Amino acid sequence: MPTSSSLFADYQTLPGAWDELFTDRGAPRPAFRKAIDAVGARSGAEFATCQALAERALLSQGVTFSVYADQRGTEKIFPFCLVPRMIAAEDWAFIERGLAQRVKALEHFLDDLYGEQKILRDRAVPADLVLASKNWFPQLRGVRPPGGVRIHIAGIDLVRGPDGVPRVLEDNLRTPSGVSYVLENRIISKRVLPECVDVARVRPVDVYPSRLADALRSVSPVDAFDTNAVVLTPGPYNSAYFEHSFLARTMGLELVQSADLFVEREEVFCRTTRGPRRVHVIYRRTDETFLDPEVFRPDSLLGVPGIMRAWARGNLTLANAPGNGVADDKAVYPFVPDIVRYYLAEEPILEQLPTWVCAREEDRVYVLEHLAELVVKAVDEAGGYGMLMGPQASSAQIEDFRRRVAAEPRKYIAQRRLELSTCPTWVESKGRAEARRVDLRPYVVNGRDGPWVLPGGLTRVALVEGSYVVNSSQGGGSKDTWVLAPEGT
Amino acid sequence: MISRVADHCFWLGRYLERAESTARVLGVTRNLALDAGLNPRHVWLPVIIVAGEEEPFQRRLGAGAAEDGERVQEYLTWEEDNPCSIKRSLAAARDNARSIREVVSLETWEALNALYLWAGSGRARAEWRDDRHSFYRRIRTSAQSLQGIARGTMLHDDALHFIFLGVLLERAGQTARILDVHHHAFRSLGAHDVVETALWLALLRACSGFEPFMKQLRGRVSPDAVARFLVFEPLFPRSVRFSLRAAAGRLERIRPPAEEELPGTESYARLRALALWVASRQKDFDTAGLHELLTRVVDETTEIASVMGRELLGCAPAVASQAATQ
Repeated sequence: MPTSSSLFADYQTLPGAWDELFTDRGAPRPAFRKAIDAVGARSGAEFATCQALAERALLSQGVTFSVYADQRGTEKIFPFCLVPRMIAAEDWAFIERGLAQRVKALEHFLDDLYGEQKILRDRAVPADLVLASKNWFPQLRGVRPPGGVRIHIAGIDLVRGPDGVPRVLEDNLRTPSGVSYVLENRIISKRVLPECVDVARVRPVDVYPSRLADALRSVSPVDAFDTNAVVLTPGPYNSAYFEHSFLARTMGLELVQSADLFVEREEVFCRTTRGPRRVHVIYRRTDETFLDPEVFRPDSLLGVPGIMRAWARGNLTLANAPGNGVADDKAVYPFVPDIVRYYLAEEPILEQLPTWVCAREEDRVYVLEHLAELVVKAVDEAGGYGMLMGPQASSAQIEDFRRRVAAEPRKYIAQRRLELSTCPTWVESKGRAEARRVDLRPYVVNGRDGPWVLPGGLTRVALVEGSYVVNSSQGGGSKDTWVLAPEGT
Repeated sequence: MISRVADHCFWLGRYLERAESTARVLGVTRNLALDAGLNPRHVWLPVIIVAGEEEPFQRRLGAGAAEDGERVQEYLTWEEDNPCSIKRSLAAARDNARSIREVVSLETWEALNALYLWAGSGRARAEWRDDRHSFYRRIRTSAQSLQGIARGTMLHDDALHFIFLGVLLERAGQTARILDVHHHAFRSLGAHDVVETALWLALLRACSGFEPFMKQLRGRVSPDAVARFLVFEPLFPRSVRFSLRAAAGRLERIRPPAEEELPGTESYARLRALALWVASRQKDFDTAGLHELLTRVVDETTEIASVMGRELLGCAPAVASQAATQ
């Protein structure tokens, strides 16, 4: 039992929200009892010391992101809360199956869209809506990427409502970020809370880079052994640069920038100190519209002219494949369950949130009448931008969105505000743990052998009391995510 | 290795060595100013000249500022607008490392990042204020440890070779500049022998050459012997000759001379020629020719760095028709 000096002694769950670690009556969930006792064995003051140690370690390891607005190139650490989020073995097994199924179906969908478009002819999803996506690139139709894989890495955001059921909030099939924090956060947990990680029997996450490297090589245009794979970054001033270099370093690959690459005879080469060297696989962390000025933005000085020709000729693997954005468009999201049924003839394992698509008249009428109750999202924005949180919005904000939705209905969808689940979170100013809302981004790696799900993921937490927004750009932080090993293994 | 990455390695090495060298010179000069009884201007102006900062320094702080050791030290340690200040050099070394974090070892990165964070902290300022000697010593030993950490934790492949190529070229240039400026200044002083000997000993200390010199020459201090030692001593790791020969050795491993089809022909040929030329001058060396020799070393190392930039470090377009088969 927690004693009065323990970290969780007076922890209060939030009424109406599912708490990840504690039941409504304040008892540790049975699967986590040992781990919670171990973490909670510290007093508030002792935990404060551990938290400070963790933050110092992150700074000295240079686990930082750049702040764009700051000319001096200031770097900040992504705020980190040392209290872990835990997931029980059987819950994870369910999530894992659901994610693999979803990625498989989305793979089929993309392959079909950029190929025969059977799903559109069969009217299983509305063609006008799909082809109106800003991220549908008709010029890529007919290209089949080497190895046949398009979604090499997916980040699929999950949330839990008051019933405790995990649901998909959105899919990220272009350049999902954040996995480096998953690995770094674990290093910190092991360093600062070693006995807790041990007692809890946490599944390791550090296999991710080697699994990803294997998956990338498995879809190379040449033999895996002869493959030269690289990571492409926009450069050190990109906010996610730490992650780009982290992945290159842990995969043992070279980190390149566009200017290092050039195309000749529809093959890609890298400038090296020993002359040009052929490149076969590029894990790109650049936006696809900046990949190749020949195809996307003739006005752009960025990118590698001709790289898309090399890709189309099958001389280069791009991960993720260009064009994936059409499948993670928020207006296509409501149809993913239909997509799963269409291609796999299975029921979707993971549920998702009921969504109104403003492009459909019936939905739009409902949304415009209920703006004050709904969350309205722009289909092509991320990071918590372009969003209306109806229940918390001022009437001016609501009227603004009314005009926007009426003017460009294809650009918006709406969902009910979900009472996101909570997790105990260290609150520095109060010297104790309080309930804060969280989500989860698991990562799926997909090579020639199909999807593999990293046991863990990035738990993002809304550090501000009462907030629902977990994005790092808007007051969010992260936690280590402990997926526990099954009993008896 | 990617040319841009090689460029970052090279400059990481150069800036690190530059920070160390500046700390070394400031520490020793300060010590000298305390007991040699010289006009402060004769002590501090050469330091500004060695850094190549005479013009901007005087423009910003006035001609008289070179008499004020504190202002010279402030300028060369902290000044954000001085690209040679210790603070800026460390930031530049760290920026280069940050651009190639996947290339330098984790230990190297963490040690460099820690040094950079420390230099930007109030603790560093406080140490500079309260214990100047230990401040300079810390910069020097941290930079030296960093080279040791890199050597002890990184693959001994091209990345490490480029880092040390940068270190060694910078060192050859720094030793040449320090010697040239001081030699000139001491000569024009017409000072008493005892004082002049003290100056030469200080110069040796600035190059970490005091004890090695005493061991090799058994205490016979003369301007000529010190100059010879700093230029020619084949066993002293900071002499011009040693640095150039070691730099050529690094380049040989990056680009073996036998593999003629690889880029780097001119860089290697010129570096090797310079190293051999310096060695060949030892016989019948006359200090009257010192300035001419050192000027050639400084100019030619600058020139070689720019040829390397073109041939190896990605400052020129490449075409695949030159591709080695891989």
